[in-house]
Amino acid sequence: MIRFRASARRYGLRERIQGLVMVLPPVAVVAVFIGFPVGAAIAYTLGKVGGPNSVIAGLAQRQHVAPHGSVTTAAYREMLSNDHVRTDIWVTIWITLMTVAIVLVLSWGIALYARFSGGILARLLSALSVVPLFIPVVIASYAILVFYAADGFMRSVSYHLGYHSFPTLGYTLTAIVIGEIWVNVPFGVLMMSSGLNSVPDSLIDAARDSGARLPRIIRSIMLPMNVIPTVIVITFTAIYVLGSFTVPYLVGPTAPNMLGPSMQNFFQSFNQPQQAQVLAVIVFVLAIGFGTVYVWANVRAAKRSGVA
Amino acid sequence: MSAVESAGVVLGNEEQADLPVAHPSRPRRGPRSIAGRVLGTIVGLALLTFMVGPLLWLALRAFSQSWHYPDLLPSQWTLHWWRSVFADQTLGHSIRLSFEFAPIVTVASAVICLPAAYAFSRYRFPGRRVLLVSLFATNAFPKIGLYISMAGLFYSLHLMATFIGVVIVQMIGTIVFMTWIPSAAFSAVPRSLEEAARDVGAGPLRVFMRVTFPLAAPGILVAMILSFLASFDESQGTFLVGVPNYVTMPTEMYSLVLNYPEQAAAVFSILLALPSVVLMTLARKHIMGGRLAEGFQLR
Amino acid sequence: MSAVTPTGLQIDRVSKELGGRTVVSDLELEVRAGELTCLLGPSGCGKTTTLRMIGGFLNADRGRILIDGADVSGLSPDRRPTAMVFQNYALWPHMTVYKNVAFGLKLRKLSKREIQERVEHILELVGLTHHVHSYPARISGGEQQRVALARALVLEPKVLLLDEPLSNLDAKLRVRVREEIREIQQRIGITTVFVTHDQDEALSISDRVAVMSGGKVEQYADARGLYREPATAFVAGFVGAMNFYPGTVVSGGVEIEGGVVVPCDDLSTTESGEWDIAVRPEDVTVSVEGDGAVADVVREVPRGHYKELVLRAGPNEIRAFVGPELPTGEHVRVAFARALLYRDGALHRTRSPALT
Repeated sequence: MIRFRASARRYGLRERIQGLVMVLPPVAVVAVFIGFPVGAAIAYTLGKVGGPNSVIAGLAQRQHVAPHGSVTTAAYREMLSNDHVRTDIWVTIWITLMTVAIVLVLSWGIALYARFSGGILARLLSALSVVPLFIPVVIASYAILVFYAADGFMRSVSYHLGYHSFPTLGYTLTAIVIGEIWVNVPFGVLMMSSGLNSVPDSLIDAARDSGARLPRIIRSIMLPMNVIPTVIVITFTAIYVLGSFTVPYLVGPTAPNMLGPSMQNFFQSFNQPQQAQVLAVIVFVLAIGFGTVYVWANVRAAKRSGVA
Repeated sequence: MSAVESAGVVLGNEEQADLPVAHPSRPRRGPRSIAGRVLGTIVGLALLTFMVGPLLWLALRAFSQSWHYPDLLPSQWTLHWWRSVFADQTLGHSIRLSFEFAPIVTVASAVICLPAAYAFSRYRFPGRRVLLVSLFATNAFPKIGLYISMAGLFYSLHLMATFIGVVIVQMIGTIVFMTWIPSAAFSAVPRSLEEAARDVGAGPLRVFMRVTFPLAAPGILVAMILSFLASFDESQGTFLVGVPNYVTMPTEMYSLVLNYPEQAAAVFSILLALPSVVLMTLARKHIMGGRLAEGFQLR
Repeated sequence: MSAVTPTGLQIDRVSKELGGRTVVSDLELEVRAGELTCLLGPSGCGKTTTLRMIGGFLNADRGRILIDGADVSGLSPDRRPTAMVFQNYALWPHMTVYKNVAFGLKLRKLSKREIQERVEHILELVGLTHHVHSYPARISGGEQQRVALARALVLEPKVLLLDEPLSNLDAKLRVRVREEIREIQQRIGITTVFVTHDQDEALSISDRVAVMSGGKVEQYADARGLYREPATAFVAGFVGAMNFYPGTVVSGGVEIEGGVVVPCDDLSTTESGEWDIAVRPEDVTVSVEGDGAVADVVREVPRGHYKELVLRAGPNEIRAFVGPELPTGEHVRVAFARALLYRDGALHRTRSPALT
């Protein structure tokens, strides 16, 4: 008895050490190449220009240096009082919310259609809505730009339908929203299809047997049982769009634009890396906010069903 | 508890394997009215156009000699742009580089991340969930900001504009794929199968090679394909770190869009999209297998 | 004479093809009001498909389904006066027991008070009042099954359908729960169709059993009728244990393979020709001496209140149930107390059944 317990404890400790050792490599890579630069970036925004930040600080213009031993919020104050920057922040948040909302509607719609219709259009739609996953973001942005350009498909088709002044959507904020939706629909569709398909047919049959029609079934069965996949779609999409660069850079206007291209501008055009990093931290904070929702939802769901 | 599982209740159990469910046939439930069906079809077609239209439009451009607004097709067709892209030295070089980096990055990522994925799945150690989440959370920091800061780090480590520097930058984007997805794949292998192998005398390594790994292989394959594509399509980081020595295809796109005629950019786009399409078509059965939601849940 | 509106459930020559295969073929069945009928058969016989067609989850290719005289064939499940208890109970995991049962009532826009009354009443009937606010994950399999039953009954359907409701329970629980279901069904007096592949289950609680095979009803009768007078060879072999021998009728008995003549004076028919002869093990009379076919005792299996003997007469294996005290040696004499004769799968009867 005693021997068994001792060896079980030893196994537990060995397993723990082994586990930690095995996860060390990617954790180390992430810690060194992401964690460390992120930490340095945050420190840099607070005015610490020494050590790892010295190289960039050496090239920077208009830096706010913190007095030795403390930090300064001067960089943040400068950026947040800048009208252009404030506009860009609102643009970023607005585009993110629009994209998330529309992606959610489209993902649910396509997934529901595929689940309950089974016709050829439904299958085609759910297959083809995953296509953007196959296409690099750079290409996608370019294709969207050309599609909605002055001589693009939308304008050409509407010309033939008699409407000659369909707006040119290239280099507009609308184009950014279109592009972001396009890029994020596949993940949404896959996630919601997976979630909806995991609801057993018998639960739906039982609801029909009790007298429910389709809208009621969606409201009372499919929706409550798919809260987690929905939260996943919302948070992952939001985090992606908040920090995106390629889509707004290629299809968006010069100004105002999202914080991604704006950051890049401050760094490469104005040579103000500190200001660029302030924007990065702002995006990070917003993204972490969404990430927290994701973790909280998972923890809550695990608690609900895990206690048997 | 099997009745409970099949009743659709998730118990949060790491080892819950997918139970095969026979789908009974059910009557079609389309909208009853003609109007509803017509509306549904119109919406469906509009969505199809939205999703696939831009790609087809761009693809047509790659073959057009001249194409004027508001025509829906080019007025003259040509293969001229294909020839010119293949003849261009810079572009050819970038194509070669892309195909060099992606496999190397994928393999390096696999070597580093797969043992970790296994540990996340099968071992209990303190901070397991925290580490798993933080691997993902670090992606929340916008790439541009990260690369600016990383530039400083790379300068001091003399990694700027080096092969290894680009490998590292591209690998970072693959770590989440190579840990989360294989971890879910390993978790989906029922423990009872491993225990049965141990029971007949197989040692831990043999159990892994003969039972766990083959069963988790599809998930790992999906992770590797997504990693390959993530590396192949990586543009921002390479833009900041690799230039001017190492310019891969996606990074080249930035300047292509600005400096080359539209048709050349279209040709290049098709070339760039091709590996993605081929690989994803091969793996689509696994990606669209419907178990995706489980891979992203925190267990 | 005025026509009386038929009550109960009528399945009128229903056929269904699935995946190119004819699963149900020209099926006819009439279940009387208040009766508990079982659909019994091996997997693939079409019983579940039939049940789903009654419930409206599948549409018949041909034929009609009538409930209390009204044709419900074109109605979807939400409109039919049927209620189904599913094999895995299909309880909605995010709703409490109360909400699961109340769901259908809420759809019918009843007042909150009336819903509460009805739900509490039905939960009391199935004995689950103490779990009214529990979630399905927290209650046992047997209790989940009762919730599913309550959910179906609270809607006061005309026909109750049960799809192998006991297959997920362990053996002891199965016996108890099936009797509870029978008791509730009789108390309410609801027409019920019950699908199972377990004949013990079917024979013990049903008013009548429809034995199905290959999409058709082989025989629809009460337990005694199925056991004593199986209409087809399939039913004879499916319900209970049965000995089968190809053979012919001779004077005083039958002749089976190897020229073995076994005496029998209760044959269902004495016509000449080739027959499939069916004999229940308990109808094999075994004696130590006397006239009868000679048989070797291959094996004796004591079974408590009776003994099973495996005998061999010529090339034929004969299983017999005898009293536990029967002394046997190596050789015995075998006769058939009663034999049923089948040709082309159907029972042939030209002599009235002996009264037993």
